[in-house]
Amino acid sequence: MIENSFNRRDFLKVLGWGSATVALSGCGNTSVEDGKEFVTSYVQTADYIIPSIGTYFNSTCAQCDAGCGIMGRVREGRVLKLEGNPKSSINNGKMCGLGQAGVQAHYNPDRIREPLLRNGDKGEAITWEKALGLINEKVGGVRAENVAFLTGGVSGHVKALLKNYLDALGSGHHYVYEAVAPSVMRAANKKAYGVEMPRLRMDKAKVILSFGADFLGAWISPVHFSQQYARFRKADNGKRGVLVQVESKMTLTGANADRWLVIRPGTEGIFALGLINALAAAGLSVPGDVAAVVKEYTTDRVSKDTGVPTEHIAKLAALLKERSPSLIIAGSAAEGYAHGSQNATAIALLNQVLGNVGKTVEGSSGIPFPQMAPTTGNRQALQILNDNMAQDKVKVLFSYGSNPVFTAPASMKLKENLKKVPFKVAFAHYMDETAVEADLVLPLNSALEDWGTVMPEYIADGAQLNIRQPLMEKLHPGTLGMGDILLALLKQRRPEEYKGYEDFYSYLRNAMVSNKGALGGANADDNTFWEAALSHGMVKLVGSPINISSHVSANGLVVPAPFVEDSTYPLHLIPAVSASLRDGRNANEPWLQESPDPLTTIVWDSWVEMHPKTAAKLGIVEGDIVEVASKSGAIKAQVYVFTGIHPDVISVPLGYGHEAMGRYAKGVGVNAFKILDPVFDKETGELAMHETRVKVSKAGQRVIIVKDEGPAGGNQMGRKIAVRMSSDKVNLSKEV
Amino acid sequence: MYCFLRLSVLLVGLIVSASSYAANAVQPLTTADDLGPKVEQPIEFPHDRHAGDAAKGGMEINCMYCHTYARRSIVAGIPPLQKCIGCHQSIESVRETPRIKKLFEYWEAKKAVPWKKVHDLPDFVRFNHERHIQRFVFAQNKPVQEACGYCHGDVKTMTVARRQKPLSMGWCVSCHQKDHPVDATSTKTTHGPNDCWQCHK
Ligand code: SF4
Repeated sequence: MIENSFNRRDFLKVLGWGSATVALSGCGNTSVEDGKEFVTSYVQTADYIIPSIGTYFNSTCAQCDAGCGIMGRVREGRVLKLEGNPKSSINNGKMCGLGQAGVQAHYNPDRIREPLLRNGDKGEAITWEKALGLINEKVGGVRAENVAFLTGGVSGHVKALLKNYLDALGSGHHYVYEAVAPSVMRAANKKAYGVEMPRLRMDKAKVILSFGADFLGAWISPVHFSQQYARFRKADNGKRGVLVQVESKMTLTGANADRWLVIRPGTEGIFALGLINALAAAGLSVPGDVAAVVKEYTTDRVSKDTGVPTEHIAKLAALLKERSPSLIIAGSAAEGYAHGSQNATAIALLNQVLGNVGKTVEGSSGIPFPQMAPTTGNRQALQILNDNMAQDKVKVLFSYGSNPVFTAPASMKLKENLKKVPFKVAFAHYMDETAVEADLVLPLNSALEDWGTVMPEYIADGAQLNIRQPLMEKLHPGTLGMGDILLALLKQRRPEEYKGYEDFYSYLRNAMVSNKGALGGANADDNTFWEAALSHGMVKLVGSPINISSHVSANGLVVPAPFVEDSTYPLHLIPAVSASLRDGRNANEPWLQESPDPLTTIVWDSWVEMHPKTAAKLGIVEGDIVEVASKSGAIKAQVYVFTGIHPDVISVPLGYGHEAMGRYAKGVGVNAFKILDPVFDKETGELAMHETRVKVSKAGQRVIIVKDEGPAGGNQMGRKIAVRMSSDKVNLSKEV
Repeated sequence: MYCFLRLSVLLVGLIVSASSYAANAVQPLTTADDLGPKVEQPIEFPHDRHAGDAAKGGMEINCMYCHTYARRSIVAGIPPLQKCIGCHQSIESVRETPRIKKLFEYWEAKKAVPWKKVHDLPDFVRFNHERHIQRFVFAQNKPVQEACGYCHGDVKTMTVARRQKPLSMGWCVSCHQKDHPVDATSTKTTHGPNDCWQCHK
């Protein structure tokens, strides 16, 4: 062998000095690790597994609640890359960036690796046996009604086991809490159409009018909607659909719209009723009671209240009348107020008047196994739990799949109330803010090494039970799946019933196989059915369709007059749900921190979006650090001056500002959840996310914002790359 | 100052690397042997016993019986333990020998044998076994042991494999430049590719 003065480490050092050296030292640098690296082979393997060639296994994405089917590329026993599963009718082979980062949730260096028991300020590693024994002892020592289980949205077999466990304890206290969820819309839909989640057929619509629903970015099932949107844009009949987005802060969907209408915050309901009035004036037949209600909403008044110019209201009404069916969607911009339910109802009424119900708003499918149907949550559940904790009614608290200490507004005093609970168990991947407060932390498998089933809330047609299966062996021997833990806990309570199941896998297989008739495998033998389910990554279910009805009554529908100005807190705060960070549960995945926000291109930090006029008034320029103060608290962040926002509004993205969780999340940005005011939707009790009023003051410093964006004006090397035109110069009716 | 500093750092780099370049200045453009280090393996696998000539007590097993991935993948791969056991569970005569006992210990514990890598290439090089095997063994009907032996030497005479050839770029090129005649109907060129990106990532 040629003696080489360079070992690999030196080589890497040289590499850092400059590329010129690489070429020289690289040549002839052979046999770098002879006899040093391991080349580990499989113990046993299937014939189709070939080293260095990827094999794909299907599973289900766990990065958000949309439940897209994924395929993981696995090589040498490691999962390397995720793709969409083409068989899943949710995402049809596509995925989003948040989903892609799933591998970083799996390989994350900050994952908890063994059960930790609180010892003063520290967590002490203990065995699973001891941990489970301790839970048994604690739940045995309190009355059943003092045990509470807090979870995020759950479905599938884990949900069924969880219910069984709570039944076994004799307690029904399961609180389901989702920090950002369309709960007001669900309730309004239930009232208007009889279903919480009607299916939105964007592909059939000729016009979409969306009130702040960011369906291309972060709303319900963005990958699914993006595909529908593509078909809407390029319909089979060759006619391109028109999207009009009405909101106070531009979302990714708003940026894609043909017409983006900025509206005064909270006046969405007024706008919807004004449109009905304008439609009636234009000759659309409107039932008498509706006409009576909307007749005061003259275009002039609506324009004055909402800030949308009269001509745009008239054009929009003309467009809606001319092109039918259309689709009106109530998103976060409409539902985030104390009168959110009224706004959503007014929007449902608009759908009804336009005759869209049954055409572009369709019924959903019933679910054959209600015990596995998705449980959706809202913030009200957390409020009840919080009150119970404050009154010392909770003695043992389990927390799984949500991080309330991070997402609850400071005004709830959740952290203080949590201290009153004598024994808190957190099932967690990271030491997040809630796990830090717990007495016992149980480390979970990542979604890429776990077994489970997921039933998504939104799916185009029929119902579907998604399979989650391990794509590789566990990285850390000390973690367990949620299903396994629940099974172990159930064995403590109902040993007879569960002793036959060695682990959650055997429970799951048995549960699926023994119901194979209903799961579409009536004619297959057990193995064939099971193997097929695993290989497809899902089973399609046939549920009886739930028909949609439309009975929005205009009687009693009142939308309040616009906000009165508040001189102390003159601005409205819109906490933005971004496509990457959502409610912050994925903040410890560096790809997500690193990917530029689609509108501002900012990375690795929070920002305050502000209209140039407002900034000028306050003497603020881009990069100024400002203090944003509400009645409930204050945060400091850099200002980004942006025209896509109403001058009375500022916006701060959610998901940043972790105080724990891991090296990529902790200390990055500020937590906008904390300063939200305790204002609630009057009908559902849901936190009105857009109701917080704030004041902004300069904090002195100025920074250079770290962002991807080039020089303003779309100018590259002296050439204009994007020609800009002011919006009032565009005639929408000619343009589309 | 800043520029100056950078330049000097780069220069130091150049000098250091140039000196190492000088040490390697002569790139071996030969197929000469160049013995690698002895590698200690968890089990001393006797290649001679398995692949060696019958006359010398070998079993003449085809290289690709065990290194089955060589013809279908860029790596030749180490066979799964299951393959060793597949034969050895019915070879009673050696069942109690130390190496086989060790083998079964791994098997019963369902643990992979931590073999050490004997032939390693720098991470920026992509060597593809499949192409070489398809070309020489399947297209040109060379005996398997000869084809493997171009790079791995006469493995059938070794116990634990040891690197025999330099596996340097010059050495690879020396072979790629040679004529490897193909039959008249083939559209393949007679020698190996000379394009950087074929081998360099
Ligand atoms: S939309 Fe949600 S479930 Fe689908 S790929 Fe993205 S993160 Fe995963």
